[in-house]
Amino acid sequence: MIKDFSYTLALTIIVGIISYGASKSAFALDVPISASVTGSCIISTETNGTYGQPNAYTLTTAASDGGQMPITRVDVTLASAYKVKFTVPNSFSSSPNLNDVVTFTGDTEVSAVSDATNMADYETDKVEVSDYVDEYDLTATGSTWFKHTSVAVNGGSRAYPSGNYTSYVVAECIAL
Amino acid sequence: MYRSLILLLFIGAANAHQMSPTYPKWSDSYIDNISVSRVRVFNKRKDVEYYEIGVFDKDMKPIPFVTQYDLRGIKYHNYAEFTIYINNRYKKDALYVCSKSMLPKLKSTGVVSKICSKFKD
Repeated sequence: MIKDFSYTLALTIIVGIISYGASKSAFALDVPISASVTGSCIISTETNGTYGQPNAYTLTTAASDGGQMPITRVDVTLASAYKVKFTVPNSFSSSPNLNDVVTFTGDTEVSAVSDATNMADYETDKVEVSDYVDEYDLTATGSTWFKHTSVAVNGGSRAYPSGNYTSYVVAECIAL
Repeated sequence: MYRSLILLLFIGAANAHQMSPTYPKWSDSYIDNISVSRVRVFNKRKDVEYYEIGVFDKDMKPIPFVTQYDLRGIKYHNYAEFTIYINNRYKKDALYVCSKSMLPKLKSTGVVSKICSKFKD
C-alpha cells in the first residue's frame, strides 16, 4: 500500500516536472544570440605613387612636376582603438650607385575621410614625430585616406644617374 | 636622359593587409608556464606573399616567443592564423603582436604595411 503510494507520488512529481517544462517551453523559449566583436585595422594602397623629374637632380611626387602622390587608406572597425603612423622615404630602397648625398623631404596629410563630422580634426590633431614620421589617432570608425609626398634632391645639384629608383612608405596601424 | 630613368614609388592598387583581433588575449597552453594566443592575418595584397610576425614590448623592442613560422607565406585573398607561444616570464612585458608585409627584394617598391594588436588581460 505504502509502496503503491510512493510510486504514485513519484510518478505525479515526474509528470508534473515534465508538464511544467513542456508548458514553459511552449510559452517562452530562450534563444541566445551572441556576438564577438574583435575589431581590426586594414591598410590599403589606393593609388600608386610615381616620381616625376622636374630637373636633372630632383625627383618629386608633386603632380605639377609630373609625379603622382601615393594614397593609402586605413579602415578601422573600432573607435579610439588604433593610431596610425606613416614614415615617408628618407632613402631609396633601390637605386643606381650614387656618389652624392641625397636629401629627402616629405610629408603625410589626410586627403579624405568617410565621416566628415567625427574625423574633421584628424589633420589638425596629427603629431609630427619627426621630419619623416606623422602619427594620427583614429578616434572614429570608418575610412581615412592619406596622401604622401616625397622629394629627393641629389647633392651638389648633380644629375641623377640613369636607372631605376624605388622607395617606400611605411604605414603602421598600432592598437592603443 | 630624363626619359631613361624609370621612376617608381609604388606598385599595386587597392591592396589591403588586415589583422584581427585588436586585443588578443593569452590563455594557458598545454605546456606548463607557457601561454598561447592567436591572431589572424588576411592578405589582400597582390604584391605581397609573405608576412612576418613579431611580439614586442611597450617600446617596440622584440620579446622572445615561439610560433610555427614567424615568416609565413599567405596567398592572395587568404587568411592565415598565427599561434604564438610565450614563456610566462615574458608575458607581462609582451604588449604588442605585429604582422608586417615583406616586399620581394626585386620589387622593393611600395608600401610596407605593419599592423599591431595589443595584448590585454
